[in-house]
Amino acid sequence: MLKDITVSFSPHISKPLSTRSVMVDVIIGLAPAMAAAGYYFRMRALILIATCVIACAATEWVCNLIRKKPCSLGDFSAVVTGIILALSLPPRLPIWTAVVGSVFCIAIGKMVFGGLGANIFNPAMVGRTFLAVSFGALMTTWTVPATLDANMSKVAPENILVSDRSEFRTQATPLAWSKMAIKNKLGADTYSEANFRGTITGEVGGCLGETSAIALLIGGIYLLIRRTINFHIPLAVLISAFIFGAIPYALDSEIHTEPTFAILDSGRYVQPFFHLTSGGLLLCAFFIATDPVTAPLTRRGMWIFGIGVGFLTMLIRIVGGYPEGVMFSILLMNGVTPLIDRLCKRIPAGGKPVVS
Amino acid sequence: MADKARGSSDLYKETLLAGLWRENPVFRLLLGMCPTLAVTAAVKPALTMGCCVIFVLLCSNIIVSLMRNLLKPHLRILMFTLTIATFVTIADLFLRAYFPDMSETLGPYVPLIIVNCIIICRAEACASKNGLAVSIIDAVGMGVGFTGTLCVLAGVREVLATGMIFEVPVMPGAFVPWAAMGMPVGAFITLGLMLGLVNLTSKGRA
Amino acid sequence: MDKVRHFVEQSWLLIVSAFFFGLLLAGTDYALAPTIRQNRIDKLNRLAKGLLAEAEHFIEVEEKIEIESGKGKSKEEITIYKAVGEGEQCVGWSFSVGGPGFQGTIYLVVGVDAGFEKLAGYRVLSSTETPGFGDKIKYDYFREQFEGAPVGELKLVSTGKPEKIDSEIVAISGATISSEAVVAIMNDSVLQVKERMRKKGLIDNGR
Repeated sequence: MLKDITVSFSPHISKPLSTRSVMVDVIIGLAPAMAAAGYYFRMRALILIATCVIACAATEWVCNLIRKKPCSLGDFSAVVTGIILALSLPPRLPIWTAVVGSVFCIAIGKMVFGGLGANIFNPAMVGRTFLAVSFGALMTTWTVPATLDANMSKVAPENILVSDRSEFRTQATPLAWSKMAIKNKLGADTYSEANFRGTITGEVGGCLGETSAIALLIGGIYLLIRRTINFHIPLAVLISAFIFGAIPYALDSEIHTEPTFAILDSGRYVQPFFHLTSGGLLLCAFFIATDPVTAPLTRRGMWIFGIGVGFLTMLIRIVGGYPEGVMFSILLMNGVTPLIDRLCKRIPAGGKPVVS
Repeated sequence: MADKARGSSDLYKETLLAGLWRENPVFRLLLGMCPTLAVTAAVKPALTMGCCVIFVLLCSNIIVSLMRNLLKPHLRILMFTLTIATFVTIADLFLRAYFPDMSETLGPYVPLIIVNCIIICRAEACASKNGLAVSIIDAVGMGVGFTGTLCVLAGVREVLATGMIFEVPVMPGAFVPWAAMGMPVGAFITLGLMLGLVNLTSKGRA
Repeated sequence: MDKVRHFVEQSWLLIVSAFFFGLLLAGTDYALAPTIRQNRIDKLNRLAKGLLAEAEHFIEVEEKIEIESGKGKSKEEITIYKAVGEGEQCVGWSFSVGGPGFQGTIYLVVGVDAGFEKLAGYRVLSSTETPGFGDKIKYDYFREQFEGAPVGELKLVSTGKPEKIDSEIVAISGATISSEAVVAIMNDSVLQVKERMRKKGLIDNGR
């Protein structure tokens, strides 16, 4: 089952133990983001990542035991799921919540479908959605990075379960700010200019691994060079997100040629570049959307998939009720992946097969 | 004579047990999924729904069993629906009069019992072919089996979604409710996992 | 004649049982209808009493008040209840009104003081808002912002002091649409009801 899926596409097929080597590559690719998370959120980040990885692996082991299937821990896919989930969680999330999310990822997101290769939806995003829907308040409490807040470094493991809000500083994420700018119809330009550098380096509030664009880019380029992923999906996601982010921005500045307010600029929408570097878009483009199981198999399908993800993300970010739309757009596009695959069926050598 | 009596009491027992477990409407026959998913966010509405179903099932089985010899084959579904609809309306009015809160919580799902497959299935498969006694026992078995599974499902969901059961807190103070379990998604997940569990425990026997 | 006989032969059971079931239903409805009506009134009273603490009991105002909801798109008739306190003196008004929420309709019971100058607040009669987000419109901290707020156009703001009682309502974070819906229902109904009632002379014209 597993081998069937990995040999069906991509250039790395000739290697032995291919699932495993792909997953190890992805882990290496995620290393810079993990390092950035560790740098900005200190112990919290490392504890969360470790928790998610251990919980995911343990769930996979237990599920295999129940289903009386051979142990599939060796392919490291559970580890990758755990890391991606951890990187998309807010730093102050209690440990137990992370464990619930991890169990949900593997058990509901992957194992009930029959294990790796049979899952329809990206397991990490399934788990994250469950957490976001269940624990809305916990999942939207963002802390300031340790480099901006000296108190953060002092957080010791024993304080983790204490949910006293006064002990740490919270901060709205860049995307929450963008949403507010849309609502208040002003301030987008000022804000995005002041914080653009932060979203590149990662010195802003946000999910563990999503803040630092540069770390994610390094990891993504590593994967591209290793040809673990091919460039179609990331490129499609980023280009379409950029275009759909640019449309309202361009239209908006045309409408408001004269400043409505003397002091504040009238920017309602942040610059499209800001959308690319903030939130989970880069993590999504390089590590989540490229999941070989839940993405289409053909090149044309990958472009459609990527454009869909980018479009839905921007639609949710700009028009929808949530500040961040990556999670839902990935799941929605995962749902239509079988249809895309059917639409873009490759014609085998020798012409179109006769279908009765 | 004694043999025959024992034979019929065995049949009764068999019929009762079939509804409770072996042919449990939710876990085995997968009937009545709409209320199973819709009203199991808490135990109280689930129990109310279960009682309504027991009442309607009992009445419709009795009536159908009594008139089974008079039924014209091609008009039987019409008769079943008429009977069921009557008793569902009575149950709905009764709830609205004496349990207004519950009636509000259940909303359209009480009238929807009319199209609950369990009832029409029992009328067709059991009551229209068997005598009064068997039909009554079948209705009780199926109804209680349905109510029981609904309550188990609702219990799991209510504890996780609110930390309470029968609106009495049961979880420690630090418990954070899992809001998703109270939403439709929680119903699907809980039901799916339970069906899996039931299949797992009775593998090879079903 | 054969046709009729055939028809009767096939369907006599259906016709007879339909007749008896109809009788059964009519009987049940006749027996239970007063209780059902009483339940509704009881619930309204219970909610309205929470709003107007001084009220001893409520009197249904004979005349129905017609308001235009949803920016004049649809007309709605609402029943006004007069809250009577000690010594048969009017202490306020209460009515129930619905409007579109985030999911489905939100029904509110609104309380207003005797002169229609200050809101006494609202209670949620029924709603289907998202648990954990939208259903916070039932929570005290949001509701209390309305208690004592002046009758007039209310404004929803995203930041501010919820403790301050004025025409600015601070939205529930994460449930802006539900908060908007409540404010819209209040804005839609209260002023129109005040206007109509003044025309009909139910409240003092001078004020």
